[in-house]
Amino acid sequence: MNKTEILADGFWHNNTIFAQLLGMCPLLGVTTSAINGFWMGAATVLVLLGSNIVVSLIRGFIPKNVRIPAYIMVIAAFVTVVGMAMNAWMHDMYLILGLFIPLIVVNCAILGRAEAFASKNSVLDSATDALAVGLGFTFALMLLGSVREILGHGSFFGISLFGEHYPDFLMFVLPPGAFIALGFIIAGINIINRRVGRTSQSVAACRPAAHTAQEQA
Amino acid sequence: MENNQAENRKAKHTMEMLMMVIALTLVTVIAASLLGVTDMFTREPIRQAQRAMLHRSLEQVLPAHVNSPIDDKLVWHAAGQNMPVYLARDARGQVTAFAWEAVAPDGYSGSIRILIGILPSGGIHAIRITDHQETPGLGDGIVHNKPWLDFFVGKTLDNTRWAVKKDGGNFDQFTGATITPRAVVKAVRKGLEFFKTNRTKLLKMAAHLDIQSEKGKLPS
Repeated sequence: MNKTEILADGFWHNNTIFAQLLGMCPLLGVTTSAINGFWMGAATVLVLLGSNIVVSLIRGFIPKNVRIPAYIMVIAAFVTVVGMAMNAWMHDMYLILGLFIPLIVVNCAILGRAEAFASKNSVLDSATDALAVGLGFTFALMLLGSVREILGHGSFFGISLFGEHYPDFLMFVLPPGAFIALGFIIAGINIINRRVGRTSQSVAACRPAAHTAQEQA
Repeated sequence: MENNQAENRKAKHTMEMLMMVIALTLVTVIAASLLGVTDMFTREPIRQAQRAMLHRSLEQVLPAHVNSPIDDKLVWHAAGQNMPVYLARDARGQVTAFAWEAVAPDGYSGSIRILIGILPSGGIHAIRITDHQETPGLGDGIVHNKPWLDFFVGKTLDNTRWAVKKDGGNFDQFTGATITPRAVVKAVRKGLEFFKTNRTKLLKMAAHLDIQSEKGKLPS
């Protein structure tokens, strides 16, 4: 796979949220505003980059039987580092994202990338993959955050759009609105994919086996 | 021959086990040292960020003062806990307000921490929420709803019925969220009661603190 393919796959065709429906917990939990979505995504990108690079570096050295605990260890270490850094230099955002920062450890998308990609590919490819997947995740978080912030509070990145008297549409701030908005966004993405005509491929690309099939082809 | 094979297999098995142990140990050691280094670099900034946060909240709940309340504090021992009480002083060193963090354990989801600023007369100067996990858009009005927060200003135990309107009190509840304001009102009322009971002692402690700091300054 060349770099462009890795990027397109991670960001769009194989998007963590829109195609694989992984990482729903932070997605629904923190996306009450666009800026929250952005910083949650940024934290995830950093963790993914770190874990993918390290997992790729140690891939020849870790015995198969203990690879999962080793990967989890690497991921947990990077999550803690990112959490400490945010606590130190972005204290306000750290307080807002709260529990969702340590919970990045159990974001199955990250372990998924370590197991399905980084453990089988070169460091450079793994870093590219981490960037693509991470940015795709961030894009999804920001998109949902924007929709919920605009509909729920009538603002975008904290800037009021419809004046002081916008009646807060509470449903979109609360979890039910997150589910509903996400459903419509995924429907929209599926329409786009069908128009472009690559839907079937995007589903197939989720499975590691498909990667090998493509590589052989 | 067979014996040899069995031994070989056993040796191979032991090797594999050893490799796993070594690999996991190495990963753990590297992860631990990474965390140690990060902690070294972030410990001081985290402390400063928390201090800056507290400083900002204190400035909001205390009246104008000439001292630095974040350092000019006394420690109240109660129920096995040490509670810092921050002081605001005027130019003559007189205490013009007290501030401490009260905890409302009965929020809608978890505890709510409230910084209460009280004047020596027993009236609220201001309150601010410092930590909570209330529902965004509903209960978290206690943080953003300025009129609601300002309603506390000047309230004493005597001039106010300390309950939300639903319970026959003076304080507004929010649409769809009664539990959160109820918890905050209750915690602030308890704070006022605490102050009423211990007012004399707190004032004495504050005065003593002032004398101490004066003494501390003398040698220099």
